[in-house]
Amino acid sequence: MAATQLDDQQLIPKLQARDEAALEALMAQYQARVFGLALRLSGNRQDAEEVLQDVFLAVFQKIDGFRGEAKLSSWIYRITANAALMKLRKRPKVQQIPLEEELGPAMTDEGMIAEPVVDWSRLPNDELDRKELGQRIEQALNLLPADYRSVVVLRDVEGFSAQEACDMLSLSEAALKSRLHRGRLFLRKQLADYAMVHHA
Amino acid sequence: MLRCRDVGMLLYEYIEQRLEPSVSQQLEQHLADCPGCLAFINTYKQTMRLSSDLRCRDIPPELQQKLRSFIKTKLSSRRPSFWERLRSHLTGLL
Ligand SMILES: [Zn+2]
Repeated sequence: MAATQLDDQQLIPKLQARDEAALEALMAQYQARVFGLALRLSGNRQDAEEVLQDVFLAVFQKIDGFRGEAKLSSWIYRITANAALMKLRKRPKVQQIPLEEELGPAMTDEGMIAEPVVDWSRLPNDELDRKELGQRIEQALNLLPADYRSVVVLRDVEGFSAQEACDMLSLSEAALKSRLHRGRLFLRKQLADYAMVHHA
Repeated sequence: MLRCRDVGMLLYEYIEQRLEPSVSQQLEQHLADCPGCLAFINTYKQTMRLSSDLRCRDIPPELQQKLRSFIKTKLSSRRPSFWERLRSHLTGLL
């Protein structure tokens, strides 16, 4: 499957003309990222497979209406995010996450940290298994409500810019900021609790 | 002098590199003197790093195959007629 990478300008007219080689090139170029994004957003392999299929079908069906105001890649990832989040929101709601203040260290009345904070990021691997920490963060991600999970996945897992994430989710920057920060604090807390118990 | 609570409130902007240089400097000064805030910020960054490790970059070959047969079936079962294509072309022009 050594399809050559085509740029949007070459690919779009060919797709609109239903050129099969162009369809193949498009899939070869985007399938891994679409699947990975769908998997992390939905948190479920079965859902991610369905999203993968639905996304490419939607792209082929809607390509005639694609006017090129956005980049082809942004358009495809946006369709992917919407489809994956729809799956996620269909599932039973997870619990609410604590407020920002409750996810940080306890503070004195003077606003200084009131308890020791362990820096488990510096622990060597034989004291805290990084692989297990990786599994732990995956579990923690599954505990996040969809609104928080989506921003964490787009920004921190997938590495989209703040602007791209805002566009994909139709969010204001302020909303992105507060959800992302609280989502990160929640994950950090989960890892910290784990590290406290498990470090040798 | 920044308090730990201020550091907590500036943390996101600091990580995203959105702070004024002078504020950023004050924050770093606080970190140099405050092991608690330093540990908190290090573990916050480590959390982001672990998140980025979750990115999955591969798609199993059998899934690629499945995708292609799915698309093939869908596209051949609903190949638009000449008139449908003409109509969608014309509405596209409007
Ligand atoms: Zn401090």
